Amino acid sequence: MEEIVSVFAQEAREQLTAMEDGLLRMEQGDHDAETINGIFRAAHTIKGASGVVEIHHIEKFTHILENLLDKLRNGELQVSSEMITALLQGCDHIGALLDRVDQGNMDEDPEQKQKGEASADALRAFTSGGSAAETKSSMVEPSVANVERAGGDQAISDCWHISIRFGRDVLKMGMEPLAFLRYLLNLGEIAHLATLCDGMPQAEDMDPESCYLGFEITLRSHATKEQIENVFSFCRDECDLYILPPNSKMDDYLGLIERLPEESLRLGEILVRSGALTQEELDQGLRRQKAAARIAEATEQPSPQLGDILVERKMVQPEIVEAAAAKQKQVAEKKTAEARLIRVQADKLDQLIDLVGELVIAGASANLLAQKSGQSTLVEATSVLSRLVENIRDSALQLRMVQIGETFNKFNRVVRDVSKELGKDIDLVITGAETELDKSVVEKIGDPLMHLVRNALDHGIEPAEVRAANGKPVKGRVELNAFHDSGSIVIEVVDDGGGLKADRIQAKAIEKGLIQPGQTLSEQEIVNLIFEAGFSTMEKVSNLSGRGVGMDVVRRNIQALRGQVDVRTEVGVGSRFIIRLPLTLAIIDGFLTSVGDASYVIPLDSVVECLELRDDDTRGHMLNLRGEVLPFIRLREFFDVEGERPQRENVVVISASGRKAGIVVDQLLGEFQTVIKPLGSLFKHLRGIGGSTILGTGEVALILDVAALTQLAGQTEERRQLPGGQRAPALESH
Amino acid sequence: MTEFATQTTTDGALHLILDGPMTIYNAGDIKAQLMGALSTSSILEIDLSHVGEMDTAGFQLLVMAKRESQRLGHTLRIVAHSQPVRDVIDFYNMDVFFGDPMIIPAEH
Amino acid sequence: MKTIMLVDDSATILLSISNILSKAGYGVEKAANAQEGLKKFQGGVKVDLLITDLNMPGMNGIEFIKEVRKLPSYKFMPILFLTTESQQSKRAEAKAAGASGWLVKPATADELLNTIKLVLR
Repeated sequence: MEEIVSVFAQEAREQLTAMEDGLLRMEQGDHDAETINGIFRAAHTIKGASGVVEIHHIEKFTHILENLLDKLRNGELQVSSEMITALLQGCDHIGALLDRVDQGNMDEDPEQKQKGEASADALRAFTSGGSAAETKSSMVEPSVANVERAGGDQAISDCWHISIRFGRDVLKMGMEPLAFLRYLLNLGEIAHLATLCDGMPQAEDMDPESCYLGFEITLRSHATKEQIENVFSFCRDECDLYILPPNSKMDDYLGLIERLPEESLRLGEILVRSGALTQEELDQGLRRQKAAARIAEATEQPSPQLGDILVERKMVQPEIVEAAAAKQKQVAEKKTAEARLIRVQADKLDQLIDLVGELVIAGASANLLAQKSGQSTLVEATSVLSRLVENIRDSALQLRMVQIGETFNKFNRVVRDVSKELGKDIDLVITGAETELDKSVVEKIGDPLMHLVRNALDHGIEPAEVRAANGKPVKGRVELNAFHDSGSIVIEVVDDGGGLKADRIQAKAIEKGLIQPGQTLSEQEIVNLIFEAGFSTMEKVSNLSGRGVGMDVVRRNIQALRGQVDVRTEVGVGSRFIIRLPLTLAIIDGFLTSVGDASYVIPLDSVVECLELRDDDTRGHMLNLRGEVLPFIRLREFFDVEGERPQRENVVVISASGRKAGIVVDQLLGEFQTVIKPLGSLFKHLRGIGGSTILGTGEVALILDVAALTQLAGQTEERRQLPGGQRAPALESH
Repeated sequence: MTEFATQTTTDGALHLILDGPMTIYNAGDIKAQLMGALSTSSILEIDLSHVGEMDTAGFQLLVMAKRESQRLGHTLRIVAHSQPVRDVIDFYNMDVFFGDPMIIPAEH
Repeated sequence: MKTIMLVDDSATILLSISNILSKAGYGVEKAANAQEGLKKFQGGVKVDLLITDLNMPGMNGIEFIKEVRKLPSYKFMPILFLTTESQQSKRAEAKAAGASGWLVKPATADELLNTIKLVLR
């Protein structure tokens, strides 16, 4: 016997013993996840190893066992003593197969094969809810299935359907269809396979080195479409390949029939035999096809390709399947990606980024000098240099960026556990998981997010009976969203719960002495009171709240990251907590402006346009921007810059959180790449300033906090309403 | 390479024994042998018990022979299979097509 | 036992891949360049699959497999090319010369063994 086979046999026996031990423990009431995982792993190892040594009948049988164990492991099925019995019998069968391998026989004994099939049937009965009987016995009446599939538009088969017609030359190119098809066994179980030889010409004209075969395959598998396609990747160009996902509609199968070269009736019979269609559905479908053809004939229109329409329709549906598949793929890709990772100490990275920062400043300085010198060759050389520096800057920053998905995913478990604890049924929906932000921010955002999510679960989502009474779906929904907006990252925690009740917040705030009884506040201002210290509106203190952590702490944490938190809410509809954080990019593309002797940098991605403020008439703080009312802030006033206003001022229109505002400055100096130096703690509470930077000339420039400024501009506007009838100063675009 | 031996049985059938691989490497040879045998006798028995290897090309030749004999109104029986041959026919789920001459062939 | 011929001018690749293959139970024949590989084929070595580099000093991979395909015993042998992502465009040329498929470097052991399973007769 080959060494590897004896190694396999020994290993398989060890795994088999582990499986049996585990199964017995389970029967004794051991429901530990690790136990079932261990059993699954053992089966998986046997399957994989038998594949490597090419004992395919063991591989195939173990796969059926593994399938059932997988469902147990995922909680799709509940364990029963009958199931344990069937699994143990399966183990016995594998043991018997291994005995035969020990005797040096790699093939399957016919008598054993029969026993194996009986055992496999018993196992399949659990996984497919009786469909084992369906695939094995033709005695099942089609009408039984028809009841569930009335209308013909419903899902019908839980298997992938693969149609492939191999190209003539695949054999000549050293490829073997058997190898491809057998490889499918690594992805799942071939429930049905039909070989089509229709493409083969009469004996005389048949080229023995050409391939004439086609196959209709029903594959029971958790594989993704891409995994299945990859099996055929080498012959893809030469082959006709169609893959229908599990639960495809009847129409998809009919569309497929129309696309394939063989006669419809015969293909239909194959699909009926494979369990994809019932006879009645087939008959009905073929009648419809004929009717369509007749209509086409009668109207002498180019035949309306029913199949095309249907296959097109198929193109919509697989996307849903693929979304699920993509997730699996991501996991797989992540695994391979991990293998290519290099671990680097964070401070080395910080040092690199510091250096790149200095490089950017030095580059800008060189650029400035080159331009002053007026030497075109020097200007050219520095511009090439600055482009390279830009690329290095981007790459260096990218090193520190991580996706927020990892942080978000932790909440899947939180939502499941907490909603169980509270007796609520709640879904977590994550979008923008691939949004990237600086690692240092990711590390610090976890706690505030946790608080907001728990708050949404606990206080936001109403109990099921309240939801039902209000005509809302019983199942609650919490969303975590992330996206980039104007050089910031926005993270939202959204719930479709009861929303925040302004009157109750107001009452509570008065009770706590946060506001005075007579004070008039807008609804938004009232809602924002929840971020004030010591605020909890829930009369009933649940298990999760009452930990002394209030929304004020959330706000403080977020402000410590130079971020903002905001809430939008509607009673009965839900709440949306919006966290806006800087990407804490050490370097940004800025727009350099000046007021008097001072320079200010506006983050470029928040700049909408630049205008000349022609009219010096600035009654109020609003401009007329082509009919649009635009609040503005004059930096000279805002920062108390000394000196006289120049004759002409300029407005930089900026946008953040969907709000626009004008920033009035003296001069526009153009785009400028700059390094953010964080402000010292002394200046932490300065509003409107996000950081500072050193210009190429050695001067210091302040970087404006655009989000804060737009908000301030809005508030100023609200407070100082323009007297009625007065016109905003006229503006013209440059 | 593959060797061929023929003998005529008492009921007038031609008995063809293939000894060796049935793969694309000798597909041309085997096709010629099969065509010859098909034209010689109206009853052809093929013994594949000594076929140590079969691939898709080899399998296609069996399909070709079966269909050709049907077209000619002849009878073709595979009287013995080796394990590799059985594996391929089983995998391709074509035992019914070959197994019983009374079964109406799938392509009609 | 199935035997795989490995042709690559990189000793590291030869060694790492042949280690993976032997561990998986395959027999391995090695050649450091196309000429050496071709000599082995001309000598009638028993090989079930050829895995060869595309860019090699002397005879390149494309010329090499064209020569191999001329030998009757290897006319239908599966041949895999070791390529890099940037050699995508070479695939059509490789197929025309008689390649069955390709492996994109660097491949993991699993990718390698799975691809071999796909093409091994």
